[in-house]
Amino acid sequence: MKVEGTHELHASRDRVFTALIDPAVLQRCIPGCERLEKTGENAYSTTLRAGVGSIKGVFTGNVRLEDVQPPSHFRLIVDGKGQPGFLKGAGDINLDERDGVTVITYNGEVQVGGTIASVGQRMLQGAVKMMASQFFTAIEAEAKTEAHEPPPKHGFFRTTLRWLSGWLRRVLKGTVQPLK
Amino acid sequence: MIPAQFDYLTPATLAEAVSLLGQHPDDAKILAGGHSLIPAMKLRLATPQILIDIGRIKDLAYIREDGGQIRIGATTTHFQIEASDRLREICPLLPECAAQIGDVQVRNKGTIGGSIAHSDPAGDWPAAIIALGAEIVAVGGGGERVIKADDFFVDMLTTALDQGEILREIRINIPSGRLGQAYLKVPQPASGFAVVGVAVNLTRDQSGKCNSASIGITGVASKAYRARAVEQALTGSALDDEATAAAATHATDGVSVNGDLYASDAYRRHLAQVYTRRAIEAAASRAK
Repeated sequence: MKVEGTHELHASRDRVFTALIDPAVLQRCIPGCERLEKTGENAYSTTLRAGVGSIKGVFTGNVRLEDVQPPSHFRLIVDGKGQPGFLKGAGDINLDERDGVTVITYNGEVQVGGTIASVGQRMLQGAVKMMASQFFTAIEAEAKTEAHEPPPKHGFFRTTLRWLSGWLRRVLKGTVQPLK
Repeated sequence: MIPAQFDYLTPATLAEAVSLLGQHPDDAKILAGGHSLIPAMKLRLATPQILIDIGRIKDLAYIREDGGQIRIGATTTHFQIEASDRLREICPLLPECAAQIGDVQVRNKGTIGGSIAHSDPAGDWPAAIIALGAEIVAVGGGGERVIKADDFFVDMLTTALDQGEILREIRINIPSGRLGQAYLKVPQPASGFAVVGVAVNLTRDQSGKCNSASIGITGVASKAYRARAVEQALTGSALDDEATAAAATHATDGVSVNGDLYASDAYRRHLAQVYTRRAIEAAASRAK
């Protein structure tokens, strides 16, 4: 399955990049991340309680960053398995800066197998989109926080509120069309 | 196909169910007809510790008229709605939608409240509920509140219901005027879920022009949505072939269309436009 998308973050590119490769930040921002441990240079092992609504499963797996070119690009390689199935994938993440807005473009290929793929196939793409937007909204909040401030708190309501306020700001600025 | 272990609670009243849910906010799920939750549990995609069965609460399955509204209780089954002669008379979209859900077994046990609270992105009810501008009554620890259909569906499998709230009733203003309604879908051949489902609720004026139009589309995106661009293009038009076809091209405007193995996003987008056109035609022809 192809996974691709674009997100606009209102924070400087350097700060977004730093947040994206900081394991402490990632652990707070990845939806359902329960554990993220460094196992080597740019390599981590993780436990995720991932899912949407009442459909949830626990996955354990590895994450590796390759081709790290601060502050514009890295390649993300993940593999994981759990009771509901397994997943394996790789993707490129690119960061561009335009007028103080960081534009993240991600593009990858993920293979999903097991129960989740056979019965949940029709919902996979939507679930990935939903989790990606939760993740980038949380990263945006992190990148906006000054170094001496305590890290922001995340959660469904905070994330939703942040998403709404960001969207409103963009509508007011005229960069996106209001929902019809 | 054997679910993980869980506790099973059978409250006798809705107040008791709300209080039980309040005691177990993180690990309890509400069970109504069980035709979405139980299959997910058997596959262990959902593993709630506790099930609170509201299916045994008396007086929660009903179809009533009250104060110009149709009121449907949460545990009313799809079949009860499909078989209601009164609904066929005053709001035919409801039985037409119910008749196309799943198979006979699903319609006999599955409930309208369960389907809406589950908010499957390909569920049939959300499209109809949006097209009818329904109101959803939720009851929680702090009392009751009414949520508009447009605000109810938040994202895939995610609704505006709080963790401690239970969906109690669906309210629909009894439609009036020269009314035309239709629900058309392309069912997934294996599951019966909507690859695309379009619900149309429109009225015509004396001259036959479209007075108002309300359209809900399911199966296409992460949640059912209201096709406002189609409604705008349709309102005031003569509902002739040309106007209908032009309006239907807006079926997926501003929507992020999802694809899967059965139907790619491009194919779904196309189906959405074709079925929107056909559903408008069917509704317009019924508005006598």
